[in-house]
Formats: sequence, C-alpha cells, structure tokens
Amino acid sequence: MAAVKIVNFVKRFGEVTAVNNLNLEIYEGEIFGLLGPNGSGKSTTLLTIATVYKPTSGDIYVFEHSVSREGDTVRKFVGIAFQEPKAMWVDTPYELLLWHAMIVGYTSHEAKNVVKETMERLNLWEHRKKQFYQLSGGTRKKLEIAKVMIQRPRLAIFDEPTAQVDVITKHALWDVVREMRDNGSTVIVATNDMFEAEKICERIAIMYRGELRTLGSVKELKDQVPGGDVVEVSFEGDREEAKDALLKLDGIGRYMLGNDKIVAYLNKGEERAAEIVSALMSAGIKVKRIMVQEPTLDDVFFYFTGARLGEG
Amino acid sequence: MEVRDQVRGCLLIAYRDLLRFWKFKHWLFSQIVMNLADVVIFALVFNNIVNRQYIPDYVKFMSTGVLAVSVFASSFSIAREVGAEIRREVVQYLLTLPTSRNAVIAGRIIGGTLRGLIYQTAFIALNLAVVGIPSPKQSVIILYTSFMLAAAMSALAIAITTSTRDFNLQATFRALTYYMLFFFSNVFYPREVLALRFPGALATIVTHTPISLAAEVYRWSFGYSEYINPTALYELTLWAFTLLVTASLLYRRNISGR
Ligand SMILES: Nc1ncnc2c1ncn2[C@@H]1O[C@H](COP(=O)(O)OP(=O)(O)OP(=O)(O)O)[C@@H](O)[C@H]1O
Ligand SMILES: [Mg+2]
Repeated sequence: MAAVKIVNFVKRFGEVTAVNNLNLEIYEGEIFGLLGPNGSGKSTTLLTIATVYKPTSGDIYVFEHSVSREGDTVRKFVGIAFQEPKAMWVDTPYELLLWHAMIVGYTSHEAKNVVKETMERLNLWEHRKKQFYQLSGGTRKKLEIAKVMIQRPRLAIFDEPTAQVDVITKHALWDVVREMRDNGSTVIVATNDMFEAEKICERIAIMYRGELRTLGSVKELKDQVPGGDVVEVSFEGDREEAKDALLKLDGIGRYMLGNDKIVAYLNKGEERAAEIVSALMSAGIKVKRIMVQEPTLDDVFFYFTGARLGEG
Repeated sequence: MEVRDQVRGCLLIAYRDLLRFWKFKHWLFSQIVMNLADVVIFALVFNNIVNRQYIPDYVKFMSTGVLAVSVFASSFSIAREVGAEIRREVVQYLLTLPTSRNAVIAGRIIGGTLRGLIYQTAFIALNLAVVGIPSPKQSVIILYTSFMLAAAMSALAIAITTSTRDFNLQATFRALTYYMLFFFSNVFYPREVLALRFPGALATIVTHTPISLAAEVYRWSFGYSEYINPTALYELTLWAFTLLVTASLLYRRNISGR
C-alpha cells in the first residue's frame, strides 16, 4: 500500500498555480525527500496532505483515504512539523508540547513524561518556561520537530526541519527520522539542504514551478545527469595518444587534457573506469592513478531545475 | 471518528482557550475596571442621567448590570485570539490535529463560553454580598441566563472575526460591535431613561439585545427589581442559537475555504 498517493493534484491560490498536476507515490516505510527551489510547491503539497488546504483538482490519498473527502480519517495518521513554527506569543514551549501530547492521545501523566524526555533530547528543557516570542529561530523550529517526535504518527512530515537549527540538532533529527522509520512510520522531509537529503532520504522527488521534475534514489538521480561523473586519470606516456584512445570510447562528453592527466565527464563513471584503463593500456599508456567522482546532489538539483552544471 | 475522541478533542481545544485566558486575566480585569470607571465618571459629570427617580440604588443597579458586562467582555475576548490565530496562520496547526473540524469549532465556542462563566463567578459573589440572595428557582434562572449569554457572546465574537478575511475590517467590526453592545444596553441606564434618550424604535431594540435581556433577568433574580420581561429567557435562547449556528458556519467557511 502506498503511504501517500498524489493523483493529478492541482492547487491554485487565485491566479497563482502553486502545484500543477502532480503525480507521485510515496511508499509505506520509506524516508522520502521533497526538493525544489523556493516557491516550487513543496509546502503547498505537504499542507494539502495534512488537510490544511484542499486540492483545487485531483486528489491525494493517505493510506488510501482521500484528503478531500476523508479529512478526519487522514488526520489520525498524519503529523507535521511546519516550516514556519506555529504558536502565539504568550505560549511557552512546555505548555505547547504538553497540550499537543494530550490532543494526539496521551493521558496527562504520560504526556508529562514524553514531553520532558523529548525536550531533553532536543536541548529544549532549559527554555521550557520562556514565552514563544523570546525564543530564537532555531529553538522555535525545534519545537515543531518535538511535536512530531511526541506524536510518532504513521505519516510524519517535516517541512524544512533543519533550516536554522544547529548541527547537533540536525544529527539528533536525522537519528529521530531513522528511528521513526524503523518503528514503521513513513517520513517525508522537504529540504533545501542537499547534504541532508543525501544523508537520510531513500528516494527523492525534485519539484520545479509546481511540477515534478524527477524522482528516484539519490544514485538514480545522479545517473540521470548527462556527463555528470568526473573521471580523472593520471598517466605516463604521450598525451595525444592518450587523448585519441579515450575519445574512441562511447559517451565521452567534455574532457580536459593536461601533460600527465586527463579529466573526462561521462555517465556511470564508476562502471566505466575499468574500460578506460584498459583502453589506455592497450594504447601503451601507463595508468598511474584513476579517480571517479560522482556529481553532487547540487549538480542534480541544478540540472533538473533549469540551472546549468558548473563549467568544468 | 468515535464520539469519545470527538468530545475529548473538543474539550481539549476549549481547555487550551482557558489556559490562554488565564494569561490575559489582568488585561481583562483592567478592561472591566476601565469600563466601570467610564460609567462612574459619566454618572458624575452628567449627574441628571443618574436620577433617583429611575435608579433608587445606583450601586445595586450597577452590580447587577456588571454581571452581564463581565460575561460579555470575557466571552468576547475569544475573538482576539481566533482572529490572531487566523492572521498568523496558527490555525493551520489546529487544522492538522487528529480531531474533526466540528470539534475545533465547538471547542472554540465552548472555550469562550467557559471564559465568560468562570470570570463571572467573582461578580456573582459581589452580587450575593451587595444585592441579595436569589431563591433556588431564581438561581437556576441565573445559571441558565449566564450560560446562554456566554454562549451567545462567544459565538458572536467568533462570527464577527471569521466573517471576513480582511483583518482590518475584522478588527473594525469587532470594536464596533463591542462598543455598540456595551453602550446601547440597559446596563448603565434603566429602560425608562433609555426611552427618554433614544427615539422609540431604538429604545426597543436596545432592550432586546442579549446583554440588556440578561441584565434584566439578573436584576429580577437578585431581587433588585420587580419587573421582568416575561419572554426574556426565550429571547436570549433564540439569540444564543442563532449566533451559534452563524458562528459555526462562518468559522467553518473561514478555515476550510482554501
Ligand atoms: N496561502 C497562499 N496564498 C497565495 N499563494 C500562496 C500561498 N501559499 C503558497 N503560495 C504560492 O504558491 C507557490 C508555492 O509556494 P510553496 O510555499 O508551496 O513553495 P515551497 O516549495 O515550499 O517554497 P520554500 O522553499 O520557499 O518553502 C509560491 O508561488 C507561493 O507564493
Ligand atoms: Mg516551503
């Protein structure tokens, strides 16, 4: 069963089309990353999954229940950490979380324990009595994360959870996300942090201007970037012969030639390294060292969102 | 969703509004003190308005009137937060919780109602001390009146706040309604004075607003006045239900229209 099935989903705000005909399936038990530049429709999609917005057309199914028609049921499964923390200025972290724990189903006794435990884990405990307006930006974000940690929903949504938070909290969150997944939750993380996406997400979708650009595992996405891998060969021998040998191979895009070094851009560099070495050796070139570098997720992102790859 | 979960959710939403209310208690108290100060100053300056012939005992007259004002002011305070939560999108949080929309809406209205009732208890005590002790039957009537008034005012506050998405307009409507209800009532002047001050139709309308109706019931129940409009309780009930339905519809439209 799909945890989330998005079918021909369109969301407009007046004249603005925030999401334009999105189709996407998120599997149960995976950590799914939603990437895309600012304004590409990530938050709009997530807020619709969490039943804040209604689809303009199309629908989204959460564990097979329609967000348009079965909101009450969908909400039993979903917990969301908002991109913009939600609280009134007079609220204090402890009260907020305690109330949250109760409304998601804990008894007041259980609530006290789970809130304390969670706050301690995120280093929030010392801030528990401050008023919301006194909290730093990162601390506010931690409160959002804490809500989902407390709730442990079947579908956990984090909308840019680590924007603004310190590196310690980032690691804590990543651990939490994996724990949740191990305990059976499905997790969706919207992020602009490529390192984070690569670190925790099993599959990634990249959105651009309200549309899905690509979908797959990090590895699959990288392989889709044409000429994305960088293969660097250090050699001894004639550089022109080395060049000719290399260019006889298929799929070599750009290349750069040095006196004892050749750098080529191609796909699936890792798989083709051996081929390159044997081609050079049969041309009488001695290969001293070979290095294969994948494109970064940044490159993938640039490629799918319209920006060009950095010049070699 | 099970009924039990619904009720639990609804009560927790109301509880949240009570917790917040507690933080604003000083604000509210000063609000009422200010209102009362206005009245006293008014009375002193325009001495002829407070005429012995119409108001035999100004203290008792005011104490019973303030019973209605206290419920009104505290129940109405729910409007500010409902409005602020929509403006600052905190309401999105409520919309994602594992409760139904009905539970959210009912919870807010109950929250406002409870604010009114809880706040009023202090003023009930004042009336018991200053005005008189009601009979058991009158006590039940007082309770019923307070409940209806609080529900009506809570609903009115929410209805006004959610009637438009324009926040400036909201605030204007809210302030306007607040002061209209506050001043166009029999809380400060008895119906005889109202009849002298306002043209006929307006005087009639003023005596049939929820606050005036409630004040009249309180004045009778605590034994200050002999007179009671025989249909006051029915009218108040009608007000409450009309406003409850309106508020539910408007709030629902406001939070789920997108
Ligand atoms: N409530 C709203 N009313 C009007 N327009 C909106 C609303 N919410 C989002 N939009 C518009 O919809 C588009 C998508 O916005 P959204 O917040 O979903 O993007 P995002 O991918 O989350 O961006 P970011 O990375 O900046 O968080 C934007 O053009 C935005 O201006
Ligand atoms: Mg966003």
